[in-house]
Amino acid sequence: MTALIEIKHITKDYGDFRALDDVSLSIGPGVTGLLGPNGAGKSTLIKVLLGLVRITSGGGTLLNYELGKQAREIRASVGYMPEDDCYLHGLTGVESVQFMAQLSGFERIEGLRRAHEILDFCGAGQERYRTVETYSTGMRQKLRFAQAIVHDPPILILDEPTSGMDPEERELMLKRIGVLARKHGKAVILCTHILPDVQAVSDHVVILVKGKVRRSESLEVLARPATPSVTVKVLGQSEDFVNRLTERGLKVETGQFGSMTIHGTFKELAGHVWQAAGASQVSVQSLTPSKNSLEQIFLDAVREQPVREDPDGRA
Amino acid sequence: MAVHNLGYRGWSGELAPAWSRFVVITTTGIRRAWTSRWLRRGLTVAWMPALYFAAMFFIFEQALTYPSWRQTLEPMVQGMPGAIGLNAQLNTGDDSELRHSFWSMLLHTFFRGPQAYLMIMMVGIIAPPLISQDVRSRAFLLYFSRPISRWEYILGKASTIWAYLALISLAPGLVLYLLGILLSPGFNVVLSTWDLPFRIALASFFLMIPTASLALCFSSMTQESRVAGFSWFAVWILGAVAFVTISAAQGFSQLNQQVNQQSVQFQNMQYNDDGTVTMTQLPPPPISNWTYISLYHTWVLAQSWAFGFETFDRAKIAVLILVALTIVSAAVLYRKVSAPMRA
Repeated sequence: MTALIEIKHITKDYGDFRALDDVSLSIGPGVTGLLGPNGAGKSTLIKVLLGLVRITSGGGTLLNYELGKQAREIRASVGYMPEDDCYLHGLTGVESVQFMAQLSGFERIEGLRRAHEILDFCGAGQERYRTVETYSTGMRQKLRFAQAIVHDPPILILDEPTSGMDPEERELMLKRIGVLARKHGKAVILCTHILPDVQAVSDHVVILVKGKVRRSESLEVLARPATPSVTVKVLGQSEDFVNRLTERGLKVETGQFGSMTIHGTFKELAGHVWQAAGASQVSVQSLTPSKNSLEQIFLDAVREQPVREDPDGRA
Repeated sequence: MAVHNLGYRGWSGELAPAWSRFVVITTTGIRRAWTSRWLRRGLTVAWMPALYFAAMFFIFEQALTYPSWRQTLEPMVQGMPGAIGLNAQLNTGDDSELRHSFWSMLLHTFFRGPQAYLMIMMVGIIAPPLISQDVRSRAFLLYFSRPISRWEYILGKASTIWAYLALISLAPGLVLYLLGILLSPGFNVVLSTWDLPFRIALASFFLMIPTASLALCFSSMTQESRVAGFSWFAVWILGAVAFVTISAAQGFSQLNQQVNQQSVQFQNMQYNDDGTVTMTQLPPPPISNWTYISLYHTWVLAQSWAFGFETFDRAKIAVLILVALTIVSAAVLYRKVSAPMRA
């Protein structure tokens, strides 16, 4: 993975409070989900990336620009969608997006053209000619998203981009994020509390807890269970099916509604499952390798006790 | 809905230079302020006094050529700073010196009078929402996630006020000066009045810089434009009322003292041996320290220096106060603008 953002041992203190504690990260293209409970340091990390706050110690680069020293160049290369309900008072939707384009260096007319183009992409209709104060929460989200991407930045930082949206709009927003990441090669940092959103579009997940990085892995790796297993769903009476599997020496954990987990790799188990199903006259509805849910991964990371380092430096 | 939704497309074009980004904030601010009907009315009214003063320029130039016009001129300039002795000067025949004094007097009166009041009113309309609305709508994150610094943001907002103030001070001041040149007998008049455009510029800066800094400082301290507007007007009105009240009380007390001591005398009257009385030029009265509690009077003092009616020595405290006010207001403003980033 080519790292677009490299963070090395960054610490950020607000007075006595340590918001980021020796954070090291490497973020590449694709969508990276930035997760963490409230107060974990996600917003501070974003502000550090944008050069809005001074780093207490450590350093890093964003597109080879040095964090904290080349803030102007960094901000020109980043599109930031804030979580807060912030807007430019008295401007219409299209004027707001044009204004942000102009702040990024677009000429007036080109900014207006680009604003319309991006609002089209974001699914904004005639409401673009209304002042922002009259917008619904969902429309404001779309507008902030449009403002973030209007200058075609290679890196996007989206803070809660789907909160307050209805399910349909949420899905469309995730699709747009996916398009930007997959078709246009943008690196997207998706900061959200809505875990299914992360699961839907992210390639990589970073979990911050109390200012420390608890997980930073590809979603595929994180979702892989500690011991391989498959999840089977059957229709019909499953007792006989389960008995036949256990007779074959397999470890089976039964769940609700005909669902069960069988320990072993997919290759080893597939033959046994089909044979047992045939013998016990049940129909297999699904047979898939088991995955850890992101919710479980998140909760495990949050509940995990931090590893204490002894004075000799041994973990 | 869009006729052609082309989907997302990359963009590669030429960007405007980094230094010019604040201009976007200024032009947007100017456009938004222009939507205020009161501001548009104020701007129209702001040029009315200029017409009156233009007429005075015309009458003055006529008076220099035709003595009969002097009777028209004299009542019009009564009460203006430096008007005493105008009649005597009109008879001496030194036109270039007289023209310089008279033009300075007109311009100074123009600035300290109608334009000062209009400035207070217009800044009271333009400035309060400029930052307070950004505080309320939490727009700082939008601004500062772009390649723009906090000083550029402040400069962009201040330039909005400066642009409008220039329209009511610098622009009419320079127009009046040009009109004077056009009405005068020849362009060689420029040689004796060349310093006046610079004095107009200096007076305009005294009008624009501290006021914009103070007004934006008030605007940054609240989410409510009304509160910022109220603070702005309160500073000017309360300060002026306090100064006038104290000055009146002091003057009355001094006069009372003199009456009690039976020592009332008119210091500018000199009784001659032949029984006649000669009026003499009095030294300027000392500047009361109470002057500085009134922003208006402090500012008028600095303006008087700009137009050559006061020495720098007498006006230096006023100038220093205005400089200090600008710096302190700008520092508070910067801190307030930075606050949301620290949260």
